[in-house]
Amino acid sequence: MLTLTLAFRNILRNRRRSLLTLLSMGGGFFLLCLTLSMSEGSYSNIINIFTQDHTGHVQIHKENYLERPSLYKTINQSNAIIEKLEQQSSVLSVAPRIYGPSLAYGKNKTFPAQVIGIEPDREANTTRLKSKVKQGEYLTDGANNDGYYSAMIGYSLAKNLKLTVGDELVLISQGIDGSIANDIFIITALVGDASSYERMNVYISLTAMQMFLSMQSGEQSQVHELAIKLSHQGEARAFAMNMQIQLENSLLRVEPWQVVESSFFNSMQADKKGSYVSMGIIIFIVSIGVLNTILMGTLERTREFGVLKAIGARPTAVFYLIMLESFVLAIIACVIGLILSLPVCIWLASSGIPMPEPIDMGGIIFDTMLGEVSWFVVLLPTVVVILSTLLVSFIPAMRAAKISPLKALQAV
Amino acid sequence: MTITTQTDTAHKVINMTTKSEETVIETKQLCREFGQGDTLVKALSDANITIERGEFTAIIGPSGSGKSTLLQLIGGLDNPSSGDVFLDKKNISHMTGTELSDFRRDHIGFIFQAYNLIPVLSARENIEYIMLLQGVSASERKKRVDMLMHAVGLEGLGDRRPAELSGGQQQRVAVARAMVSKPSIILADEPTANLDSKTGADLLDMMKDLNEQQNMTFVFSTHDPKIMERARRIIRLVDGCVVDDERKA
Ligand SMILES: Nc1ncnc2c1ncn2[C@@H]1O[C@H](COP(=O)(O)OP(=O)(O)O)[C@@H](O)[C@H]1O
Ligand SMILES: [Mg+2]
Repeated sequence: MLTLTLAFRNILRNRRRSLLTLLSMGGGFFLLCLTLSMSEGSYSNIINIFTQDHTGHVQIHKENYLERPSLYKTINQSNAIIEKLEQQSSVLSVAPRIYGPSLAYGKNKTFPAQVIGIEPDREANTTRLKSKVKQGEYLTDGANNDGYYSAMIGYSLAKNLKLTVGDELVLISQGIDGSIANDIFIITALVGDASSYERMNVYISLTAMQMFLSMQSGEQSQVHELAIKLSHQGEARAFAMNMQIQLENSLLRVEPWQVVESSFFNSMQADKKGSYVSMGIIIFIVSIGVLNTILMGTLERTREFGVLKAIGARPTAVFYLIMLESFVLAIIACVIGLILSLPVCIWLASSGIPMPEPIDMGGIIFDTMLGEVSWFVVLLPTVVVILSTLLVSFIPAMRAAKISPLKALQAV
Repeated sequence: MTITTQTDTAHKVINMTTKSEETVIETKQLCREFGQGDTLVKALSDANITIERGEFTAIIGPSGSGKSTLLQLIGGLDNPSSGDVFLDKKNISHMTGTELSDFRRDHIGFIFQAYNLIPVLSARENIEYIMLLQGVSASERKKRVDMLMHAVGLEGLGDRRPAELSGGQQQRVAVARAMVSKPSIILADEPTANLDSKTGADLLDMMKDLNEQQNMTFVFSTHDPKIMERARRIIRLVDGCVVDDERKA
């Protein structure tokens, strides 16, 4: 207790210097916290926008489907799995999908198209597909009075085939039983634009798709993919691992978006390294200031350390005293930093800064830089400030601990 | 008085043992040199000094005669060039590091010319600190600080910082700090040099009282005749050599 008192009073001894150091450390904390908040917030934002475009946070496939998609790699009895997934508290929604590469016939043109069978409501809850309808009405489940199912068609494909809402679309593909699949659909909507993911896709309802490709429906329903939206993107990895175990089906693979969209994830990680460089520079500048304070503080107290050692303080006791002073200083700096940064971070997280120019990443638009408030954003600067302070105090502390009491006593 | 009986011899043996147990300090051929070649300075040459428990000894001599050097060697602040220092029968000449730190903490009390109190600690805390290093319990610490504040006549001033005390008062705190660890000996290098003669004399009287009442062993250096006359034993140094060692009745 007396040692702590001693440490505190030593900090208070040169108030102005300690205050300046504290402000620079607290300022460093503030900058670190803000940088982190902005970068984490932006990444969260990007991840949210990205995963809600079409990927979802977690996907389930038959094994190897991602590496080599195939009509035959199906998830069987998918309804039971969907039911199980929807019981999980962290799951917001699940969207089943069937993929069938087909030939699409327009007015008098043919184009290859990715035909995707979806459950309209579930898909709308999981991704932003519904909001991307540019013309017409979002997909519905049943057939029309004439027995035709409806289809939504991507912007570019529609343009290439010279089709628009109300036109007939003929699709030809191969059924799962080896038969030739072909059918007529009525275009009820155009989705996306020339640069979005949907541009060459055709969406029909899951029921229509299962009939089209002669796949099992109902109890035995077969699909290729289950896209899952969680309450928070940060849970994706843990959820996927946990679910993989729970499914007890060795032929299915549960994978987080980091794996499904690995190239996007990797480029994002590389980008993150850039912000660590700027944080390193902040740490360096603050550390120099702290080093200066600790060095001055120990140098001018050389004689006192001599007295402490003469009356029997061990070298380690002197060492710990200086480290304790630095630690106390660092803790106070963190408190100051926290008081400065929390309100700003909270404001950034709720309002954000509008970007001077919106960024378009593959049809996904970012127009606001959002901050984030999380344990990570607060704890990392705390750990960094404390560790770097202790690190720069190490040399002055060693110096004072090793000093000969006689020499120190003769110092002025 | 040359007739010795059986019992007398036995008595003498007992006396011898108790007597030798009472030796606090013994130096043997103690030397300390500084520099080398042309600049070699023999700060202390072949000092053989024995100090018994309860003695009140002054080391006197002109400036540069080696008083500080002797006290530093005895107190384990410096290592001799040759010779040995025995403190409580332990040879400390070759001790270093933590061993020496702990030995100083438990066996030696220091009083410096420049008081050397820790400026950010109050008088009481300055006294308490060394007990903290020793691991003395809080209640015992309080008891001993109270007792010593009383003994050095500073009751009621315990919460003052050194800067709020006069030189004489600061040196009294330093005496209390030196006493608090219950050392075997207290070494004081010119404790009165920074004080006016009246205050210095008062401090010495107080140290002498502590010496008599608590049987605390003191060795102090001085070149002030008024101070040295209070000692019961005077060791005179000239150019690093012990030239005189005189006990008063
Ligand atoms: N660290 C040192 N380096 C070189 N010479 C020293 C050192 N300390 C003391 N001396 C010399 O040793 C001699 C004795 O010094 P000291 O013990 O301080 O004398 P006193 O305390 O009696 O004035 C002096 O000549 C002094 O110059
Ligand atoms: Mg001297």
